[in-house]
Amino acid sequence: MDLLKRLYKWVDVRIGADEVVKKELTGYLLPRNINVWYSMGSVLLVIFSLQVISGMLLLIYYVPDADKAFKSVSYIMNNVPYGWLFRLIHAVGSNMMVLVLLLHMLSVLFMGSYKSPREFNWLTGFILLTLVQGISLTGYLLPWSQLSFWATTVATNSANAIPVAGPYLVEFLRGGKLVGPPTIGRFFALHVAVIPAGIAALIAAHLFVLKRTGVSTPPFGRGDTTNQWKADSYRYEDHPGGIPFFPNYALEDLRSVFIYLAIFLAVVFYYPYLFFPKDAFLPANSLVTPAHIKPEWYFLANYQTLKLFPNELIGLSVQAVAMTFLALLPFIDRGRERHPLKRPLFLACAIGGLLLWIGLSIWGHYS
Amino acid sequence: MDTSSRRTFLGVCLGGVVAGFSAAVLWPLYRYLAPRSGGELTTRVVIAEKDVPEGEAKFFEYAGASAVLVRKKGGELVALSAVCTHLGCIVQWEKEKQDFLCPCHAGRYTPDGTVISGPPPKPLAKLPFSVANGEITVG
Repeated sequence: MDLLKRLYKWVDVRIGADEVVKKELTGYLLPRNINVWYSMGSVLLVIFSLQVISGMLLLIYYVPDADKAFKSVSYIMNNVPYGWLFRLIHAVGSNMMVLVLLLHMLSVLFMGSYKSPREFNWLTGFILLTLVQGISLTGYLLPWSQLSFWATTVATNSANAIPVAGPYLVEFLRGGKLVGPPTIGRFFALHVAVIPAGIAALIAAHLFVLKRTGVSTPPFGRGDTTNQWKADSYRYEDHPGGIPFFPNYALEDLRSVFIYLAIFLAVVFYYPYLFFPKDAFLPANSLVTPAHIKPEWYFLANYQTLKLFPNELIGLSVQAVAMTFLALLPFIDRGRERHPLKRPLFLACAIGGLLLWIGLSIWGHYS
Repeated sequence: MDTSSRRTFLGVCLGGVVAGFSAAVLWPLYRYLAPRSGGELTTRVVIAEKDVPEGEAKFFEYAGASAVLVRKKGGELVALSAVCTHLGCIVQWEKEKQDFLCPCHAGRYTPDGTVISGPPPKPLAKLPFSVANGEITVG
């Protein structure tokens, strides 16, 4: 212990570690009424780290070549010691990442934390959601299974509805007229380099604006639940008399992380194929389209919306409008009230929107 | 039990849990990254006698490395590892000179694998082989 203290002292006199610890950990105070939903961001950081580590491990054996990709994934699953574990951690983890990201967004929505001055927090978070969807879509093709091949065919084909540039855009995305060997190279580069770099940059921006604005106060358990921010000058929202991030809230974060890991590992070990339909186990065949090809669960609502509208352009436009509305929400909803029960119109729209999304997803699943 | 011994006990328990958790993570990681066992390596190679004419050499893969069969002038067969004993480059057969040359640092070996010149510290390793029914079996 003495050695550790001396080592810490050695570092401290050089870089002022003590000051950083006081400012960022023990002296970083959070609102006293903070709740468990505030730990979703930490859980997401853990998930993203696990995805990066398991992805790096898969790169050792995976071959991004149309002739070898499926065989290399089968080899990882069946021949490499614990290859099944790292592959399932990566594949199940990608679904869990989307799920926790949606929970994080919902908590921000219902607690009104997106309101001024946190427009940047919301926007960076929203872009992160689209990037996570993008990394999931590009990763879906890489095993080169029937599911990968045809889900990517359908997904890239959606761009065809865009007037004038649509057909060229589809060809550009695929690297050819049809999904084929050039597509896997493009999607592989996007999946392992371009989008992860974008996600890392956006996480850095998200944390930066969080540190600059300060953590929002939850609207629960307080008398005045209105937004106190005044748009006259920059102010950091501090919480005098609040609870320290370390060790108090760090332990809460850790508890949420362990609860997440328990659920995540339960899926990995007991329901490993929860996210794998049978077409995921057949090699891609460009001449045979399997019946009832469906996208991942989080794209089912989009899939069903496209089916509902007779014109694909209208279907895409409706989704684009919905996404734009969600992205610009802090600029549209400018009311000062933050408590959900005191915002009946918001609450009705949010619950209605959520139910519509769930309903469309279920409909898409069974259609 | 006083506070400090309870604290020590809990510290030891926590350390044990962390050690167990680390082992549960590190063992699969080590197994995943460790080189594959020799189960898939070719340890027996059969080559037709006619493929190795007098004065020539035939290179092939044996036990995960490069190997060579040479039929010396006079008809004697030799099976050798083709991995130079200096820094692991693959030797080349020089038909005109009837010797092996390592292209990396110009080490030279006789057709028997003995060092003639250059930096190799020891001869090329000899491999076991047998000849029967017009076939050479190495390994």
